[in-house]
Amino acid sequence: MGHLARLMEAEGIATVIIGTRAFQSQLNAMTLPRVLITLHMMGKPLGPPNNRETQREVLLEALDLLEAAEQVGSFEYVATMRPSSSK
Amino acid sequence: MTDADAAQFFQDLLWKLGDAFNDGRFDRLLEHVNEWQVRAYSGEGKWAYAEGPFSPRQHDLSDSRLVLITSSGHFVEGDDPEPFGVKNMSQAEAEVRIKDFIRAEPELSSIRVDTPVANLKVRHGGYDTRGAQVDPGVAFPIEILRELEAEGRIGELALNAYAFVGAGSQRRLLKDAGPQWAKMIQEQQIDAALLVPV
Repeated sequence: MGHLARLMEAEGIATVIIGTRAFQSQLNAMTLPRVLITLHMMGKPLGPPNNRETQREVLLEALDLLEAAEQVGSFEYVATMRPSSSK
Repeated sequence: MTDADAAQFFQDLLWKLGDAFNDGRFDRLLEHVNEWQVRAYSGEGKWAYAEGPFSPRQHDLSDSRLVLITSSGHFVEGDDPEPFGVKNMSQAEAEVRIKDFIRAEPELSSIRVDTPVANLKVRHGGYDTRGAQVDPGVAFPIEILRELEAEGRIGELALNAYAFVGAGSQRRLLKDAGPQWAKMIQEQQIDAALLVPV
């Protein structure tokens, strides 16, 4: 997905990625514009099934990042799940 | 993951299971699995770049057209991408053929954003898809995006969202499919994209 983000940015489309911690290092290495990392499990980056509240919170944070980022490499963690070692 | 790593994973899992039984804190099992997922996929991988493109947002999101793209492997029932020409490939077969998928060029499924989620299917040999079948919102949140569009947080959703199987050839994605998809998206006057890798 990192490659697709880079290709779309080159076409003038602003992108934001919602990814899990499992792929954080690979996403970071690709120097992507905007990435929101969640602590959820692989396959469920927005949260557990039928947990609408968590999914919506993650989505809103991603949209906030889409609007706020001013430079490439804008990495954020979902605020309520920020690990102590982040940033 | 080496055999020794796998043994360590299961040994620690059993110890934590014992601890959880003792004190009722079963969340430590989830934390354990999550930590090992991170460990299993650690490292930069083969695709590292010193610099990257950055397209500044042209409009407020409330005036923008947004597209959703996921690598979850969702598709609309009745519009199966039929990988390798196989009709009604099962999730189990996709898991067996994961190496074939990883060598293949990924195929994009178009999904109208007004599609009822009950009509969505998912198949992807690279992860546990059960949650994504029960609730596509875990990786393909079209229902919540429709809510946010109705609330005005997003100006407009693109007519279609898109999904593909992310466990595909990254080189082919980079050289062939990806540039075509990016161009196709750009031609729809789309301002922004929400990308969800699984």
